[in-house]
Amino acid sequence: MNAPLQIRDAQDRPTAGRTTLGTLVGLGGAVAGFALRPVIAGIELGLGLERELRRGLTRRTEAALLAGLDALLLSPVAGEAVDRVLASELTRRTVSGALAGPLVEATARDLVTFEVIERAADELLASETVDGVLDRAQAADVPRRVADRLLADGVLDQVVARVLEGPELERVVESALDSAAMERLVVRVIESRLLNEAVERLLQTDELWLMVDEIARSPSVSAAITRQSAGFVDEVADGVRARSRKADDLIESRIRRAFRRGQRERPGGEGAGT
Amino acid sequence: MTETAPPSTAARLAAAAAARRAHPEPARVEYEGLVTRAVAFTLDAALINVVAVGVGAAIGLSLSVLKVPGDVETALFALGGVSYLLWSVGYFVTFWSTTGQTPGNRLLGIRVRRDDRDEVPRPARALLRLLALTVAAIPLLAGFLPILFDDRRRGVHDMLAGTVVVNAPKYPPG
Repeated sequence: MNAPLQIRDAQDRPTAGRTTLGTLVGLGGAVAGFALRPVIAGIELGLGLERELRRGLTRRTEAALLAGLDALLLSPVAGEAVDRVLASELTRRTVSGALAGPLVEATARDLVTFEVIERAADELLASETVDGVLDRAQAADVPRRVADRLLADGVLDQVVARVLEGPELERVVESALDSAAMERLVVRVIESRLLNEAVERLLQTDELWLMVDEIARSPSVSAAITRQSAGFVDEVADGVRARSRKADDLIESRIRRAFRRGQRERPGGEGAGT
Repeated sequence: MTETAPPSTAARLAAAAAARRAHPEPARVEYEGLVTRAVAFTLDAALINVVAVGVGAAIGLSLSVLKVPGDVETALFALGGVSYLLWSVGYFVTFWSTTGQTPGNRLLGIRVRRDDRDEVPRPARALLRLLALTVAAIPLLAGFLPILFDDRRRGVHDMLAGTVVVNAPKYPPG
């Protein structure tokens, strides 16, 4: 009986050692986890505080930026700054240089080629950015001030004159007219129902026919029609006159030749035949 | 040294018109031949008859709805004939003695004037010319043949009335 017991003890001894070690490790881990729980909680609390702080800081920064922008736009400094920038020689030189250089042409060509305007317009119209910007600019009365300043200083006149006199506009128009996008746009406009309806409504308005009547009754139109009619009658009469005179000369010369008479003496001027 | 700008077209035309007014070129006289005068006369005859036929048709239509005795109708026909004669004579005499141009002459650019000076014939001379023209037509239009031979392209009626037919410039100088 003792021999089997000895064998079982010899077999159970290492297993019991491993179990004890595992228990000890588990116990140690539990103790460590319990002991570190405040640390972890502290870290989580710190991270949360950091997030909240960051959010609050971002909100306050944005609010401060918008408030600053509002204050800047509403302040007379903004108007003065716009005035000074527009009145500066640098602005004039920049505008002239930009219009005179190849940049305008290349930009216009690329804008048309890559349909940048269409895509940008789609993006802008899809977002609310445009509305927000326009609301703020309108609230600050910026457009009126900019327009007033542009008109008062003649900057707009100079720009318009430069654009009209320069070859850039012609080239831009030519490239736009040659582009397939413009062709598609024109075809779309012509085929659209809007144009037909606009023409129909225009034809239904009394004002159009009043205007047509006024034009038809105008002295210049009457004079033009009279001139044209008189011109036609004169033309016919000139033709008849030329042919009849040619026939006169022909008949007369043949008869004179037949009767062996010399050519008729032709008078040279006023009084020669009197 | 300043450069003067070249004058505009309007300025050049105005200057040319002023020069023409200051020194008008003498009008070149051309005596008009048989064909031109015949065409003008045809146009005048057409105009005279269109008016006469129109008036006659209007009077005839008016009388057709009225009961007019036969004698009155005869008298009206006679009156119509006299009116037609007066209308024809008055047409030529009036135009020849006022402007020297009947509407047919005006269209063909010709005019009647005295052969000794550049004046339109007086009414008596114009009437004489018309009578002579009728006489010239009687012998199978032989009275018009001298137009082909005469140096001043005068017919018998021109010789009798002392007139010539000359060109009338559309825009007289001066």
